[in-house]
Amino acid sequence: MVRVLSGQPGKPMSYEPVRDKLERGETVLLDGGIGTEILRRGVYWRCHGIEQHPEIVRQVHLDYLAAGADVIKTNTFQLNRRAYLNLFHGLEHMRHIGPPDLEHKARKLVRQAVELACEARRLAGREGDGVAIAGVISPLEHSFRPDLSPSPKACRAEHAEIVEQMKSAGADFILLESMNCLHEARAACEAVRASGLPVWVSFTVCENGRLLSNEPLGKALQAMRRLGAEVVLANCAPPADITKAVALLRYHGARHFGAFAHIGRYDPPSWKFGFYPRFSGTEAFPPERYLKAARRWKKLGAQVIGGCCGTTPDHIRALRDGL
Amino acid sequence: MAFEGEQARGSRRRNRIHGHSLVNKRYANLRERIGRREVIILDGAIGSEMLRRGLTWESHKVESEPAAIRSIHSDYIRAGADVISTNTFQLARRSYLNHFADHKHMRHIGAKGLGKRAPALIREGVARAREARDQAGRPQVCIAGAMTTLDWCFRPDQAPSQRDMRAEYRETIGAFKKAGVDLMLFETFNSSREARVALEAAREAGVPAWVGFVCDWKGRLLNGETMTQVRKGLRGVEPDVLLFNCAPVPDVTRALGELAKVYDRPVGAYAHVGRFDPPDWMFTDEYPPEKYLAAASRWLARGAQVVGGCCGTTPMHIEALKQGLPKTVSS
Repeated sequence: MVRVLSGQPGKPMSYEPVRDKLERGETVLLDGGIGTEILRRGVYWRCHGIEQHPEIVRQVHLDYLAAGADVIKTNTFQLNRRAYLNLFHGLEHMRHIGPPDLEHKARKLVRQAVELACEARRLAGREGDGVAIAGVISPLEHSFRPDLSPSPKACRAEHAEIVEQMKSAGADFILLESMNCLHEARAACEAVRASGLPVWVSFTVCENGRLLSNEPLGKALQAMRRLGAEVVLANCAPPADITKAVALLRYHGARHFGAFAHIGRYDPPSWKFGFYPRFSGTEAFPPERYLKAARRWKKLGAQVIGGCCGTTPDHIRALRDGL
Repeated sequence: MAFEGEQARGSRRRNRIHGHSLVNKRYANLRERIGRREVIILDGAIGSEMLRRGLTWESHKVESEPAAIRSIHSDYIRAGADVISTNTFQLARRSYLNHFADHKHMRHIGAKGLGKRAPALIREGVARAREARDQAGRPQVCIAGAMTTLDWCFRPDQAPSQRDMRAEYRETIGAFKKAGVDLMLFETFNSSREARVALEAAREAGVPAWVGFVCDWKGRLLNGETMTQVRKGLRGVEPDVLLFNCAPVPDVTRALGELAKVYDRPVGAYAHVGRFDPPDWMFTDEYPPEKYLAAASRWLARGAQVVGGCCGTTPMHIEALKQGLPKTVSS
């Protein structure tokens, strides 16, 4: 496989050490929940907390770094043009009744979010120290609604747009997170490959180990491998479902694969606005219990392990100490 | 008035079974006032008013902050509202279900009881409005159960199938009725098609209903329907009052003008002031109470008889309407 490096001149190639770890068969530690953690720290969920409380977003990254994460995810889940546009009848309506410049808000927030992760790495003194920043890109529509996924053509164009934003802001590679159907994952993966950034693809799975679109995980794995995804993962499902998915990834011969489960129960608010990362009852999965699940994933061959919604820096610390 | 007979016909069966009086005394009185061409004052914003008072809106707060919600209703009653609306906008089963792949997925990974949360919050929301009315000692104030489109209010393209809509309106209106509303206020509607389903379900339940439509800036509904199309779309199920809401003041004025050309039943309006800045509201000073009153006077001149405020308006706006508008409109 051709190695495409993220390196712009003068920029440390932060992804290389992660790739080397994978090649050596070592475990790469991913961070934990971002949105849920920001919410847990009392931030009112608006603009992903980035406008009002950049210091808290940065601190979440810092805490994950201190807990031992090799890879930190940007606070960009479900942050795209569509997330705002969907709430209006169209662009004209948005301009007519929305605040000035709302059509550019997602782009600005993506940049700021990537910069906050970069700043945290710098503040932690971990630049050039093996820590990579994963630019998180989620499905364009609600991540649990494969039925809403746009056409392949629209997916390709819009994901390419976000990849460029991430790349120019300084993400080391792209993590396509919570992908819910094959056609969008394919389009997004192609868009990342065209940009030259390395790409990991993570799928949300159902109880039966399939994608939310009901497509088989094995088929998705093969498709992503052909497109050059370096790691294929399963995420945003309860630990038991993730274990099943990890076994499937192994069964289907995944080379580098990984897992990060959510804990607690998804508890959306009573209003209809889009993404809102509230998970309740997360105390049912304290760090030690989560570690037990992660040990099973590791035993099955998972190399990238971290946490999804509801997990905290304590969970990641437990993984660092216990895996 | 024509609609009384129609309503009786439409709900005869249910009425026989449950033996309800079709319309409670309080609403019958309001309807008489409308018949006498009196100006009826509706309340102002609830959601944005919560934000202005330092509360966030992400769980309606009808259960967790009862005193705060009650005091918003009380302030609108004190300001002179004849009709107050409940803090229940967007509460429907689908509002939760839409966050999941399907029912099974919701049961599997969702918080416990999500499927029953909407009717529970509707009950609480109506209770807060009733408590405010009781405390104010204004038994004549009518409580309107506020309900918007089943899917996103600004996205007519997302409206469910006719069959799903029918079932969900029945269910949701049932929850409002049980909680004790005097009428339904279907607000921020985006098509006559969905309004028709909602109105039929309300009629079937024996609950009087008003409909507020979002208009665009060209004198049509948000989905592009002309006022003639709206009139045709609602034929036979016309609401007691047809209103425009959740659009800027000039758009509402324009829509009323267009409607007046083709529709001669009671109409009304409540515009928003400021900008929709999801998930919040951006307040602006474009329409302070006095200026909003001037706009409302223009609405009266275009045939509106029921006026109030949508997002961004406050009890001060409603007080200005109460104090400044005539008691009746010339017919």
